[in-house]
Parts: sequence; C-alpha cells; structure tokens
Amino acid sequence: MKAVVYVLAVVIVGLALLRRFRAGRRAPAPLAPGHVTAALARLGQRARGPLDRRRPLGDTGLVAAREIRERLRGRFFRVITLLLLAVVAAAIVIPTLPSSSRPVARIGVVGSLSGAEEGAIRTVLGHARLGAQFSSEPDLRAARAALRAHQLTVAVDHEERLLVRTPVGAGASTTQAVAATAIASALGTAHAFRAAQLSPAQASIVARSRPLPISSVVARRSGAARGTSIIGLVFIFILLTQYLTWTLVGVMEEKSSRVVEVLLATVRPVQLLGGKVLGIGVVALLQAGLVVAFALVLGAAVGSNVLQGAAPTTVAASLVWLVLAYAFYSWVFAAAGSMVERQDQAQSLTLPLSVPIIVGYVVALVNSGPNPTSLFMKVLAYLPPTAPFGMPLLVAKGEVTWWEFLVAALLSIASTLVLARFAATVYQRAVLRTGRRLHLREVVGAGHAG
Amino acid sequence: MEGTLELDGLSRRFGSLVALDNLSFSVGSGRVTGFLGPNGAGKTTTMRAIFGLTELDHGSVRWDGAPVDASARRRFGYMPEERGLYPGMLVGEQLRYLGRLHGMHDREAASAAARWLDRFALSDRAKSKVESLSHGNQQRVQLAAALVHDPDLLVLDEPLAGLDPTGIDAIGEVLTEQAHAGRCVLFSSHQLDLVEKLCEVVVIIDHGRVVASGDVDELERSGTSRLIVRVEGDREGRWAEGLAGVEVSRVTGGAVRLVLHRGVDSTMVLDAARASGRVLEFGFQRRTLSEVFREAVHA
Repeated sequence: MKAVVYVLAVVIVGLALLRRFRAGRRAPAPLAPGHVTAALARLGQRARGPLDRRRPLGDTGLVAAREIRERLRGRFFRVITLLLLAVVAAAIVIPTLPSSSRPVARIGVVGSLSGAEEGAIRTVLGHARLGAQFSSEPDLRAARAALRAHQLTVAVDHEERLLVRTPVGAGASTTQAVAATAIASALGTAHAFRAAQLSPAQASIVARSRPLPISSVVARRSGAARGTSIIGLVFIFILLTQYLTWTLVGVMEEKSSRVVEVLLATVRPVQLLGGKVLGIGVVALLQAGLVVAFALVLGAAVGSNVLQGAAPTTVAASLVWLVLAYAFYSWVFAAAGSMVERQDQAQSLTLPLSVPIIVGYVVALVNSGPNPTSLFMKVLAYLPPTAPFGMPLLVAKGEVTWWEFLVAALLSIASTLVLARFAATVYQRAVLRTGRRLHLREVVGAGHAG
Repeated sequence: MEGTLELDGLSRRFGSLVALDNLSFSVGSGRVTGFLGPNGAGKTTTMRAIFGLTELDHGSVRWDGAPVDASARRRFGYMPEERGLYPGMLVGEQLRYLGRLHGMHDREAASAAARWLDRFALSDRAKSKVESLSHGNQQRVQLAAALVHDPDLLVLDEPLAGLDPTGIDAIGEVLTEQAHAGRCVLFSSHQLDLVEKLCEVVVIIDHGRVVASGDVDELERSGTSRLIVRVEGDREGRWAEGLAGVEVSRVTGGAVRLVLHRGVDSTMVLDAARASGRVLEFGFQRRTLSEVFREAVHA
C-alpha cells in the first residue's frame, strides 16, 4: 500500500512538471533569455517553428536518440548488464539453496549416559541446529587425547563435568562453544531433576516446558526489506557512478574530438546537453528496469524472500531515487566534462565530484542494520546529494512517512533545476575553450566563451 | 537559393586581445570567396561568429538582410578548422544524424548521405568508423557533413589543409560547383596559389580588420606591376641586387621578379641586366595574389 502512495506522489509531481513543460512550450516568450527553465521548456521546440510531430522532442530528442543507440550498441553496456544480472541472480538464488550438511557435535562419553540424558542432549543440540554423534571413551586420558586430536567436540566425564579442547568464551558461536553450553545446561537440568527425586513422568513434563509467546505493540520490520534496501543501495551506487562517468566522458569526448563545434553550429548548447543527459538517463533506466524485472521474475521462480514483505516499497523507492539522483548529478558531471579534454583530467575531477555519493552510500550502509537509524543519516536523507541513499533506507526501515518522502523528492527536484541552470551556463562557456583544463572560477568569472 | 551574408561592424575582444575590430564585409552567392589573413588575424573568430559560437561585443551578422538566427543557421554548412566528427560512429550514420539535426527527414538525410559518399567515392566506407579512415578521407567526410543538408551558405575553415593534390582537386571541384549552383561559399586557406585558382573574390583581414577585399582579378591588376627579367646563364639574379629603387620580390628558375618604386626608369634595369648577360625575357606582369596579400598585411 505504501508503495502505491510513494509512486502516486512522484507521479503527481511528474505530471505537474510535465504540465509546466508543455505550458512553456506553448508560450515561451515571457521567460527570460538564457534562463534554464525557459531553455528546458523550449527543448521540445524546433528552431524552425512549430513542433514536428515526428520529432516530439526536437533536436534534444535526436541527440538523445543517438546517445541511446550508441550506448546500447557498445560492448561495455552489454558486459555491465550481464555482470549486474549475475550479481542479482547470486544474491537471490544463493540464500534459497538448502544447506548441504549441518555441523555435528561429536560427544565422547567416559562412563555412560542414560537414554533420557542422551535424548535431552539431542533435543538441545537440535534447537541449536547441531547434530549429535555419541562415542564411548575407555577413560579420561583417551578422551583428552581425542579432544586434542580434534576427534571430539566435547567429552562428558561420568556426568560430572564437560571437557573441551580450548576455553569457551561468553557469547562464542563456534560449534564447540554452542555444543558445550547446550550439553552443560541439559546435563545440569538432568542432575537437578534427579536431586529433586522427580518421577520420570514428572521429569518429562518439566522437560517439555515451552516459553510463553512474546508480542510487541509495534510490528517487526521484515528483514527482507532491509536486505532489499542494501541491494538497492549497491545497485544505485553502481549505476549512478557508471552513468555519471559516461556523461562526463561523453561530454569530454565531444569537446576533445571537436565535434561539438559542428553540433553547436546548428543546435543550442542546452539542447545538446539536455539530449545527452536524457539519452544516458534513458539507458540507465532501461538497464535498471531490466535488472529489477529479472530480479522479480527470478525471485518468484526460486521462492526468494528478498522481494517479499515491505520489499516492493523499497524497490519502488530505490528506482525513484535512482532517477532523481541521476537527474541531480548528471548536470554536474556534464558541466565538469566540458572543462576537460583528456582522460587524466577527467579522472582528477571525478573523485571530488563523487565524494557526496560515496559519503551517502557508506553512511547508508553503516545504518542498514536492525538498529535505529542515526540522526546523521536522517539529516542526510533530506539533503539532495545524499538523499538517494538515505531515503530508500528509511523507507525500508519504516522510519519515514509518505509526505516526508515527498518533501525530500521535491527538495531534490528543486535543487536539480537550479543546478541545471548553472551547469548549462558552465557548459556554454567552457565547451569551446580548448587547449587546457579549465577551472570553475575562470569559467564562471569569464562571462562568456572565448 | 541565392542570398547574401553580411558582417557588419563585428567587434570582439578577449581580455586585452582584440580579435575583431569593427570588421565588415559581405559574401555574395554564385562565387567562391576566399577569406585570407595571417595566423591570429581573426578568421576563425569571424567564422565562429557567423554560427553564434562566439559572442560579439558589437556588430551583427545578417543573412538576406535579416539577423542570423537558429532557423537561418540550419541552412548553413560549417567545416571548422579543427575537424570534428565522432571518431567511433559509422560514417553513414554520422552524416545522416547531422542531416537530421539540420532539419531533414530521416529518409531524406539517408539519401543525401549516400549521395555525398558516392560523390567522394566513399560509398564502401559508409559502415566504417570515422577513426578507421585516412586523413584525406576523414576530410572528405567532414566536407560531406557540411554539405549533406544542401546548405545555402558554406563556411569552410582551411578545408584544403593536409590534403594531397587529388584531394585538393576533388574538394576544389565541389566548392566551385556549389558556387556555380548559386550558393555562397566562404573558405579560408593559407595556400594562396589554390585560393587564386579557386576564388573569384577574396577578403583579406589582419588584426581583426579588413585590409583588402574585392575581385581577385582587380586586386591583382591594381598596385605596382612586377617587372620580370631573365638573363642567360644567371640563376640567382644577383645582378639586380643593389639597384636603386628596385626590390627583388622573388627569383624563380632564373626569372627575377622586381618591384620598381615610383619614379624608377625600367630602362635603367634593362641596362643593368644587359651588363650581366644576354636578356632572354623582359616584361611587366600583374601582382600575384600572394603579393597582394603580403602588401596588404605588410608581411
């Protein structure tokens, strides 16, 4: 149900923006020249005049179509898609595979155990998901030797004490520790029953005691939702870094190959930039959609719980934030690409630009456990650069309402519009200035391109 | 199809550097116009200004009397000095894409791309990546990219640079053909002998200003004529050195090309030549375009 609310909220915002886009296309004149809102609104209008129905997005659409065609044709896209599908398949299928064998505690007995005692030991070890294998040891010395030689897990010395190879620490989860703790408890209880002189029937009743059920007033969150959110975080991180790098390198290559001068002789800078961002964004969405569809089908086929419970809401939130994150960052990376001409220059820019992405990703992963989310993460979930990682996590943990989600999405969209305006200015001023790497200060201060 | 490009009072300054200084000239249709100037004279900035690729401090660019806008630019073809094509894109697709950006329908653009590739004998490379072509063939594709949408105005920055004689002939033929078809053709080059051969009109600029312009024939006829003297057995023309009021312009294969300053009597030169040996050739010739250029820019 919550998934529907989130999707509806985003659709309403999208429709409102689309309406504004169309209104701008019908009446572009009142918008100030150079204003990016005006430019975005006019993206669909051909310079020659009325809208061409065969090219609804005009030159921007042509640029985007070329971008999509070239990217889909590339070997890199196919390799990355196959890798993502393989990782998703592994994440879904492996947890559903039955365990090939469960660990067995080998128990050496010096003396003998009664049938009831052996039964009690098998029961407690069973609760701890351990098997039990009993052997008779002739004496304590032989039992010690067998423990040292790793032939035994635990030795029972005439019902008096347990012997283990190394000391058992509190809270340890090794087979030896779990088995020793459980057996010691079971035999201790058996001793107590005997000391109380309970009849076998009474002892049996006490042994079958069951703890009372515990109910919580707040429903427990499904672990599957958190699992999905972690997969979603990794997914957003990989796709985002991949497609933002494409955007930066794509703009840089158009600049370094000088094809940008030929293109800008007929296409406005904002159309060229918008087309590139749109084209790569569509490819990203296609890839994400393909991977999610594959995950849903595979999850249903193998009976995985990764996409059950609250997980569909998390999947929807992750997809929404992948789109918002790409829209936010793509302008930044495109503008950065217009200031460089070589791969080494591009690499030196990529790291500082990626810092907010890395911070958001790492902090979200740290907070992805069952414990309550930190205040720091909650603040980051509303900041546009880190919200793409924080907000899906809060959705998965049930720590955010639909209107809080909407507020964060609106903040991100508003920031994207401001950023796009700034990026278009930087791009226009920098993309035809060749020969060396430009710095933001000189581009912003230059006033116009050289 | 006919139109006129007018550049009116273009000024552009980059910091302390004046790139264009009240530059004005026009380019008519039906003739190839050469755009000349030394390095840094402002040719590339002027061409970029025609396409709105550089902002102007003052002045305007007009096509058929109206300011050039995005719609007009769709009817222009441009070949920048630094060649620009997508290296990894297929040749045919690239031309088709550029045709579509200039407003052509897909089928129309595909057909025009095929036609121009055929014209440049590159039909078999339509499905090759641009980066796999030789320099000359890349140059041909670049010209095809400027022509694919059948533009009314062609602006070409150094289209002949780096080409072999066959490539120069092929591209020169296309430029002449386009002009004769009624289009405006403006191209820059440092190869003045080729410009002389291809162009009927030239505009020479220096320091962002027009320093000479007009019909090539008229420019060559104007100014001081050159006196050509050839003396038997003399390959270097040393006899002419030191003659008062006479400047040696060039010595080619024993023919000495002289500039006579005002008031200098040519018989004095003839006497000096005779004193050196038997005179095989003695006569006046008009200036070459190279000489027109050098005098205009004071090189």
